[in-house]
Amino acid sequence: MERAIVLVGLNHQSAPVAVREQVAFQNGQLGPALRRLMDLDGVHEGTIVSTCNRVEVIACGADATRLSGLLPRFLAGEHDLAEAALAGHLYTHADREAVRHLFRVAASLDSMVVGEPQILGQLKQHYAAAAEVGASGRVLHRCFHKSFSVAKRVRSETGIAEKAVSVASAAVELARGIFDRLAGKSAMLLGAGAMGELTARHLLAQGVGSLMVANRTFERAIDVARALGGMPVPWDGLSRTLPLADLIIGAASGDDFLLGPSALEDALRERRRRPIFVIDLAVPRAIDPAVNALDGVYLYDIDDLEGVIADNRGSRAAAAAKAETIVEAEVDAFWGWFTGLDVVPTIVALRDKLEALRQRELERTLAALGELDPKHRQAVERLSVALVNKILHVPVTTLRRHQADRAESFYIEAARRLFRLGSDADATDDDDAEE
Amino acid sequence: MSAELACLRLAVLFYFAASVAALLGIAVRRETPRAVMPRLLGIGLVLHTAALGLRSAHAGHPAVTTFDEALSFLALLLVAIFLVIQFRRPLVALGAVVSPLAFGLTLAADAVYAGARPLPPVLDSVWLPIHVGLAFLGDAVFALAFSASLLYLVQERRLKAHRGPSLLRHLPSLETLDRLNYACLVWGLVLLTLGMVTGIIWAHAAWGRFWSSDPKVLFSFLIWGIYAILLQGRMIAGWRGRWAATLTIAGFAVLVLSLVGVNVLALGNHGKAF
Repeated sequence: MERAIVLVGLNHQSAPVAVREQVAFQNGQLGPALRRLMDLDGVHEGTIVSTCNRVEVIACGADATRLSGLLPRFLAGEHDLAEAALAGHLYTHADREAVRHLFRVAASLDSMVVGEPQILGQLKQHYAAAAEVGASGRVLHRCFHKSFSVAKRVRSETGIAEKAVSVASAAVELARGIFDRLAGKSAMLLGAGAMGELTARHLLAQGVGSLMVANRTFERAIDVARALGGMPVPWDGLSRTLPLADLIIGAASGDDFLLGPSALEDALRERRRRPIFVIDLAVPRAIDPAVNALDGVYLYDIDDLEGVIADNRGSRAAAAAKAETIVEAEVDAFWGWFTGLDVVPTIVALRDKLEALRQRELERTLAALGELDPKHRQAVERLSVALVNKILHVPVTTLRRHQADRAESFYIEAARRLFRLGSDADATDDDDAEE
Repeated sequence: MSAELACLRLAVLFYFAASVAALLGIAVRRETPRAVMPRLLGIGLVLHTAALGLRSAHAGHPAVTTFDEALSFLALLLVAIFLVIQFRRPLVALGAVVSPLAFGLTLAADAVYAGARPLPPVLDSVWLPIHVGLAFLGDAVFALAFSASLLYLVQERRLKAHRGPSLLRHLPSLETLDRLNYACLVWGLVLLTLGMVTGIIWAHAAWGRFWSSDPKVLFSFLIWGIYAILLQGRMIAGWRGRWAATLTIAGFAVLVLSLVGVNVLALGNHGKAF
C-alpha cells in the first residue's frame, strides 16, 4: 500500500509578506484548523506551522497525489481565499523532500537569517499544539522529534548560530571585545529611530545596566526612554551626561555631525580615558569619523557593522554546507524507518523473525533428542511449523485488516516493538530519549 | 642524559605542545585545544619542577644561580602564575603568549645548559632563595604584564581597524587586559621592591655595605623607576589603554636587557654568580 508525507506551504522566499499575512494562523485559530484538517478524507496525521516567515501544512496519509491536491485547497479555504490566489506562491514537497524540508526548517537553514534560533522553538510550539488535539500520530511525532534533534546536531556541530546576525547583535559582539562585561555599563541613545531603538533594546537585553536617551525634542526623548526603560537626558546638557556613557549609539542624522572629536575628547578626559564604544547607525552619519582616531574611542558606522555581519555570513555559508550533509544523513535514517512502517515489510519481517526462531529451536530440540526415526522427526517439524503459523495468524490478519486506515501505523509500531523487528530496536530507544 | 635533563627536555616539549594548542585555541571554533592547553602546561610544569628539584638536590643548594638555571626558574614561575590565573578565569589568548615564552626560555636554558656548579661561598646564605625567589617572581609577573599588554595592542588594533571579531574571537576584551596589566603592575612592583630590599639586606650582611655599583643593582633601580612611574601614572593621571600597554612593554624590554645583558657579559656580582 501507499504511505505518504506531504508538505505544502509558503515562506519568505516564495511569497511576499502581503500574501503571508493572509494565510497566517493566529494562536486561537490553530486548534480548530487542525481539527478541520484531520476531518479531511485521506489525512491520517497533520500539523500546521505558522510563523511570520512561513505557513506550512504537513500531513501524512495514504496517497501523496491526493494530499498534494487537498492541502492547498485546505490552506486557501481556511482563509476564505480562492485557491488561485495562492498559486505561484505555494511549494509542495512530497515524501523524502517533505522530510528534508522540515529538517532544514528546524535547523534554520531555510530561515531568512540562516542560523537564527527562534524557529526551533516555534516548531516545537506548533507541534505541541497538533499533539494536543490529537492531530499528530506516530509518523509526525517521530518526524518532528527527529527534526528537533537534527537542529541540535546542526547547532552543536557546525556552530551556525554562533555568529551575530543582525546589526544589533554585531554591535553587542563588538562591545564584548572592548568591555569585560556589559553589566554595569551605561549606554546613551542619541536621537530616535527603529534601528537605534532596536540596538538599544538589544544592548539592555544583553545586560547593559542603564540607558540614557537624548533627543532634540525632549518629549520624544521621554517617550523613547519610557518605551525602552531608559532615562531621558536633556539635549543641551550633553557635555555633562556624555562622560557617563560607555556606549554611544548615534541614530539621528542632521546637516551636521552630532558629536565631534572635541566633545569626545572632553568626555574621555572626564572619564579618565576609560574606553567608549560609539555606534553610528545613522545615514548620513551622526558622528564625525575623526573620533575614531582618539585613543580610547572605537567608532563603528553602519557599513562597518554590516562588514562584520558579512564576515559572519561568509563563515555561515561554510557551516550551512556542512549542515546540509547532516540533514541529508538524517533524512536517510528517517526514511529507512518510515518505509519500514509499511504492512507488507512488517509481515515479512515478522515471518522471518519467527522462522529463524523456529529453525533454531528445532535444531536444538532435535540435537537433544538424539537418534529419531524419520516419522518422529517429521512430526516435531510439523509441530513447530503449525505453532508458528497459529501464533502469526491473528497478528498478520489484524495488520492486513488495518492496512491503509488510521490505525495502521499503530499496529505496525506495536508489532515492531513487541517482536523487536528490524532496525526498530534501536530506533525505539532513540525515540524514548527524545521524549 | 641525566634524569634532570630528561625532565627539562620533556617539559620543553610540553610547553611547545601547549603553545600549539593555545594558538589553535585562538583560531578555531572547536573547544578541544582550549581545554587541552592548561593540561599540557600543567604536565610541563610538573616535569619542569622535577628537573629543578633534582638539580637542587644534586647541587645541594637551590638551583637558581647559573644562567641556565635562571632562565629555567623564570619560565617555571611564569607558567605557575599563569596557571593560577587560568584556573580562576580561562584566558586562552594569554596562554598563547605565555606558552611560547615558557617554551623559548626553557629551550634557551637547555641550549646553554652547563649542569650544576658548586656554590660560591659568598652566595651560601639563607638569603639566596628569598632574594632570588622574590626577584624572579617579580620578573615573572612583569612578563605576564608584558603578555597582557601585547594582547591589548593586538586587540586594540583590530578594533580600530574595524576588522570585526571574526578570526581572533578568543582575544580577551580590552577591559580585561587592561585590568590584568594593572594587577600585574602592582604585584610586580611589590615583589620587585621586596626583592631589592632583601638584596640590600643580604649585601649588608655579606659585605657590610648597603650599596654597590653592581650593574644589576643599577638596572633594577631603573626598572623599578619605570614601573613605579607607570603605576603612578595609572593611579593618579588615569593612564590606561594603549599608552599604558606601550610603557609596560618598554619596561619589560629593559628588564630583558638587564637579565640577558648582565648575565651574558658576566658583569658585577650578579653576573659572576651565574
